[in-house]
Amino acid sequence: MSFLFNLLKGAFLRMLQLIWFGKRKISNSLSIYVKTNTGNTLSIDLDPKWDIRNLKEIVGPQLGISPEDIKIIFAGKELHNSTIIEECDLGQQSILHAIKLPPGKNRLNRKKDTKNLIEESIDEGSEANESGSKPLNETLIDLPLEDSDRHENHSEQEQQQARAHFYVYCSLPCKSVEAGKLRVRCATCGSGAVTVDRDPQCWPDVQQPRRITVHCENHDCQTLLSSLAQKDEGTPQVRYAQFYFKCANHVSLGEKDEAVPLYLIKPNLRNVPCLACTDTRDTVLVFPCEAGHVTCLDCFRDYCVARLRDRQFEFDDNHGYYTLPCPAGCQNSHISEVHHFRLLSPEQYEQYQRFGTEEYVLRAGGLLCPRPDCGMGIIPPDQTDEERSRSPDEDDCRRIQCIGGCGYVFCRRCLQGFHVGECDSQQPTTYSSTSAVSCLSGYAIDPLRASEAKWDEASKKTIQISTKPCPKCRTPTERDGGCMHMVCTRAGCSFQWCWVCQTEWTRDCMGSHWFG
Amino acid sequence: MCWDALDLWRQGLIMADLPRRIIKETQRLMQEPVPGISAVPDDANARYFHVIVTGPEDSPFEGGLFKLELFLPEDYPMSAPKVRFITKIYHPNIDRLGRICLDILKDKWSPALQIRTVLLSIQALLSAPNPDDPLANDVAELWKINEGEAIRNAKEWTRRYAMDN
Ligand SMILES: [Zn+2]
Ligand SMILES: [Zn+2]
Ligand SMILES: [Zn+2]
Ligand SMILES: [Zn+2]
Ligand SMILES: [Zn+2]
Ligand SMILES: [Zn+2]
Ligand SMILES: [Zn+2]
Ligand SMILES: [Zn+2]
Repeated sequence: MSFLFNLLKGAFLRMLQLIWFGKRKISNSLSIYVKTNTGNTLSIDLDPKWDIRNLKEIVGPQLGISPEDIKIIFAGKELHNSTIIEECDLGQQSILHAIKLPPGKNRLNRKKDTKNLIEESIDEGSEANESGSKPLNETLIDLPLEDSDRHENHSEQEQQQARAHFYVYCSLPCKSVEAGKLRVRCATCGSGAVTVDRDPQCWPDVQQPRRITVHCENHDCQTLLSSLAQKDEGTPQVRYAQFYFKCANHVSLGEKDEAVPLYLIKPNLRNVPCLACTDTRDTVLVFPCEAGHVTCLDCFRDYCVARLRDRQFEFDDNHGYYTLPCPAGCQNSHISEVHHFRLLSPEQYEQYQRFGTEEYVLRAGGLLCPRPDCGMGIIPPDQTDEERSRSPDEDDCRRIQCIGGCGYVFCRRCLQGFHVGECDSQQPTTYSSTSAVSCLSGYAIDPLRASEAKWDEASKKTIQISTKPCPKCRTPTERDGGCMHMVCTRAGCSFQWCWVCQTEWTRDCMGSHWFG
Repeated sequence: MCWDALDLWRQGLIMADLPRRIIKETQRLMQEPVPGISAVPDDANARYFHVIVTGPEDSPFEGGLFKLELFLPEDYPMSAPKVRFITKIYHPNIDRLGRICLDILKDKWSPALQIRTVLLSIQALLSAPNPDDPLANDVAELWKINEGEAIRNAKEWTRRYAMDN
C-alpha cells in the first residue's frame, strides 16, 4: 500500500517539476557533467535542442560567473554559443569543461561592443575562420592512414560526406566492435580542459605523441610542467594533445573509460569494391599495404577464419604479434593492431589467441602437448651440451610430461605415449588433432564426381586420419590418406617431409613410397 | 510446365545461394572466354566447372585437348580452387592423379586471384614445364636428364590420350 502511495507521490512531484520548469521543458534529457578549472563538478540535465548559450545561462549562476565570462570546452574545442548540443557528439555522462575567462579575454563569444569598433572587426575576422567554434566531430574529416595523403581543400559537401567515422573495440561492457568517438586531453596533466591548436589530419596525428599542441586550462598544469622541466632538461615547454577513443554504444563510465581504435576499419568513401567478393560495401577494412587493398568486413572475417584454420597467421618478429598480411600478398602489410581480430566471433578469437600462444611457445623452443583437446605449450628444461653429446637419444631426454596441462607423458621424438627404445614410426596414432596440417594430397573435389574421374586407384584407399609431428617444428600433422609427401602448413615452417621416414622429403621417398 | 521453364527454375535454385563473386566470374568467363580455354559450370553444381585446355602451340602438348575439373570450395575465394587434369598428361609438374604443382593453387593463393588467373597459369605451365618444382616425379627426373626423350613421351601421350576423343 505504501508502495502505491510512493509511486503516486513520485508522479505528482514529477508533474510539479514539469510545471515549474515549464519554460524549458526537457524533451529528451541528456545528463552530463560540467567540470570547472577550479575543481567544481556540476551534474546537469540538458535538452539536446539547446545551444551552448543556454548551457552557459544554466551553469553561470551555479558557479557565480556571468554567462559571458564562461567558455565551454569539449573534445579539444571551445564550443560556440550558437552550437546546438545535439551536434556535439555528447553521450550520457559526458564531461564538458567550463572555464572562467580572465577579464578582457572573452574574445570568441563576447557580445558585440559598439564602442570598440576596431576590436570588433578583429573579432569578426577571427570568428569567421575559427573552426574551433564547432565541435571536433563536425570538423574532422576521415583520417588517411599515412601522413602523405592528407585531404586538401575540401568543399563543404565533400567535408559533409567525408565526416569521420571511427570504430573501436569496446572491451567493457560491450565486448564488441562499436562506433567510436575521438576525445583529447592534455598529455602533461591529463586534463580534458584543452583546446587543440589544429585538427588531426591523419592517423599518425592521432596515434603518435607530440604532433599537435594544445592550450591547457588546468591551473595546476603550469606547475606540473615547470617541475617536470626542472627534473629533465629535455621536457618541452609546450603542451601536446593526447588523443583517445570512447565507445559510442554505452554510457560513459568516466574519464578512464576508453576503447581501442580499429583504425583500419573505415567508411568506404571512395566506393572501392572488396577484393574478395567484389561487392562495394559501406564499411570496409583497408589493409596497411602500399596499395591500400580493401575487403568488406564479412570477407575479412572469412579471410581470418580460413587462415586460422590452416595456422597461416604469421608471427611478426619485429613486434611480436601474431597477425595477417594483406590478402593480396603485399610486402610489409601486417596488421599491427591485433584488436582488429575482435571482428571474429568470441570462439574464433579464442582460437586465435590459443594459436598465437602456441606459436610463441614453439618459437621459444617449446613444444605442444600432442593430446587432442589439450595442446598445452610446454617448454622442456634445457639440455646441457654435455648431456646432448653423451646420449642424444637417451630415453630420459625424450621423456616429456605435460606439466600444467593434462599430465600426459610422451616421447619428444614421435609425440606418442612415452616408450623405451626406438620410436615405432610405422604405427600411426589415431589422434585426430584439431590443428590440422594437410598433406599436399589433401585434395578434395566433389567426391561423387571425383570417384568417377580418377585415373589411378591410389587415392581410393580408405581415408585414415592419423597424426605425426612435423620433423622440423613438431607441430602435430594430420594425414588423411593420399601420398606420403607432407608439407607442414604452419606459417614459417613449410617443411616438406616424408610420412614414412619422418625426415625431409627426398627423391628416394618419391621413388620408393610416394603413395605408400 | 515446359522443359525450358523447369530448367530455368532449376538453374535459379542452383544459383540462389551462390556468392555474387562466383556468379560474376562465371558470367565473365562465358562472355569473354580465355583464348584456348573453355570453362563451363556443371548443370547440377555451379561450383564445379568442366574445363578444356588446348595444348599451346610449340609445346609438346600442341594439338591436344586436355580435360580438367575445377571446383570452387565452400570458402572460395579464401581458399584456392581445386583443379585437376582428367586427361592423362606427361608433364613434370602434373602427377599421376592429374594434380598440378602450381604455387598459386597452394601457398601463393590470394583471394584477389580468380578462376581466370588460375586457368591462364595452367596454360602457361603447359608452355613452360618446370622440372625443378617440388611435386616432381619420374617425369621430372627424365625431363632433367634427357629432355629430348621426355618431350617425345609428352608428344606420344598427347597423341594417345588428348586427341580424337
Ligand atoms: Zn561499449
Ligand atoms: Zn595540462
Ligand atoms: Zn567482401
Ligand atoms: Zn595489399
Ligand atoms: Zn596435455
Ligand atoms: Zn618415440
Ligand atoms: Zn612444421
Ligand atoms: Zn620416405
